Amino acid sequence: MEYPDNGAYMVAAYIVTAVVVLCYSVWLRYRVRKDR
Amino acid sequence: MTRRESALATARRGWILTTVALVGLVGVYVRALAFTPVERVQGPAQKIFYIHAPAAWAALLAFLVTGGLSLVYLWLRDRKLDTIAASSAEVGVAFGVVMLTTGPIWGKPIWGTWWSWDARLTSTLFVFLLFIGYLVLRGAIVDPEMRARYSAVLGILALVLVPFIHMTVYLFRTLHPEPIVMKPSTPSLPGVMLTTLLSSMLVFTVLYIGFLMQRYALSILRDVREEEAERGVS
Repeated sequence: MEYPDNGAYMVAAYIVTAVVVLCYSVWLRYRVRKDR
Repeated sequence: MTRRESALATARRGWILTTVALVGLVGVYVRALAFTPVERVQGPAQKIFYIHAPAAWAALLAFLVTGGLSLVYLWLRDRKLDTIAASSAEVGVAFGVVMLTTGPIWGKPIWGTWWSWDARLTSTLFVFLLFIGYLVLRGAIVDPEMRARYSAVLGILALVLVPFIHMTVYLFRTLHPEPIVMKPSTPSLPGVMLTTLLSSMLVFTVLYIGFLMQRYALSILRDVREEEAERGVS
């Protein structure tokens, strides 16, 4: 079956989500450890 | 148990929950990308839906919690409520970044444009900026009582806008599609796609709770440190 060729947008969105979530997780962890 | 020990225990539990959610997020990625069929009309870009909608859900849930607790704070004046509200606002902004970046990335191939100044997108951006303002306001006021009171008022104003965002697709002509799950009738999505979406929503909800617990613990640890510093000075 023919689909629109827009897989790059999908990959970009999944990468952006992973980066934001991981960066926030690490930043949160870092601040907790710094202020303990 | 001292306040510090209690906060550290909360941070530890939050970290465990966050780790579980991150593992769950890997599972959602695998399921969405490898085991969920490609939608016929939109193609692979439609799979952005499985992260965009749950991120939007988590962001709006966080903003609702902030607004709701702000309302209760003005009534009960319990400092703990203000601390949780502020923590939820920051976590909501993090999810808001995901929502407001994945949305345009999905919009470009489907609508032909990154952004449209229609009611849904504009009101969502407005609430996001309002919560950035909420965090800036908190950073600018030193007196804890005044900070809690002023930011609670802003949180309540933003709370009013969250249901409005949900209703914009019904009230205005907008490019954004109507809800396909959070609506009065049954979800209009094939079973396999619905399972992927609901799994992702569950993971983002757990992630929100994990982040919130850690951010709340961080606020308590900072409070304890400030109190210790004040005692040291006096």
